[in-house]
Amino acid sequence: MTVGSQVKSCYSTIKSVEANLETLAIQSNEREATEAFHKAQAIVREIKKDLDKQVILLSQEEPQYKQ
Amino acid sequence: MPDWIQIVLRALSLVIILFFMTKWLGTKQLSQMNIFEYISGVVLGGIVAIHASTLDSPYYYAPLAMFIWFIVPYMVELISLKSKSFRNFTQGKSKVVIQNGKIMEDNLKKEHYSTDDLLENLREKNIFKVADVEFAVLEPTGKLSVLPKKENQPLTAKDLDIKLAPEREPQTVIMDGKVLLEPLANLSLNTNWLETELDKLNVSIENVFLGQVDSHGQLTVDLYDDKIAVPSPSQKPLLQATMKKTQADLELFALATENEDSKQMYEKNSKKLQEALDIVSPYLK
Repeated sequence: MTVGSQVKSCYSTIKSVEANLETLAIQSNEREATEAFHKAQAIVREIKKDLDKQVILLSQEEPQYKQ
Repeated sequence: MPDWIQIVLRALSLVIILFFMTKWLGTKQLSQMNIFEYISGVVLGGIVAIHASTLDSPYYYAPLAMFIWFIVPYMVELISLKSKSFRNFTQGKSKVVIQNGKIMEDNLKKEHYSTDDLLENLREKNIFKVADVEFAVLEPTGKLSVLPKKENQPLTAKDLDIKLAPEREPQTVIMDGKVLLEPLANLSLNTNWLETELDKLNVSIENVFLGQVDSHGQLTVDLYDDKIAVPSPSQKPLLQATMKKTQADLELFALATENEDSKQMYEKNSKKLQEALDIVSPYLK
């Protein structure tokens, strides 16, 4: 596995984490829990943005692995 | 009228009167009654027993006596609800028997409570050493309430500074294979949601003996067929594990890369993810 694909898989995991957090926030009836999940979701979204940029950067650096 | 018919009539009518009187006298348990309430209850029963089984006295004596023994405790209860000093007089006050870890011998003596009684009651609370007790009160009902010293009290999450997610009472949504709509509506959920959740668990509703939903929207079921294994809820532990793994991955990338900018970016995000994990982990348990 190249670094590029590793980061890519990490990026998709982060995406799923974000979606999971959102589901839990909606499911929960507890106001505090909903707030906590939303807060965590916001943080994860920032990480997702950074990783998105990194994935693009790495795909430019490793053009030989692009199919 | 033959005697036996009189007995039957008396017994039946007195039982009915007694039933309503005890109902009106309140729902206190026998152990919570003070001596006066206890005795008046016994006397009421005694009156019924005497008049239901003998024909010596005229019939109306029974309801009359019962009425007196009913109305006096009833009035006492009514007045003592309103007045604290009257309550102290009729129900008695609780007496402190251990204060600041020291036994109050005078109070023990006043209540005719022997040292053996005290030790016995402490043992019932699983305390074998008087030195472990900070405070103990003898209630008017004769029960001993004990506050152990702080170091002998059970450890709580508060003592350990652990943050716990608040949890409200779970709602029972399936009973004997039937959906209960009202508890479901209390959680603002509907039957469609329930069917989806049951599909996820791969069980049919007819097979569910009992199903409960906690305040986080997690469904747990017990099946009629105990041989079928129901998967335990996995979404939250899975999410927590995934977040931990991703955080570790980011740290790994930070170590592996030689590009300074990327390294910083990975480190920053790894820290951020740890932060997010700290926020939600109480709710993921």
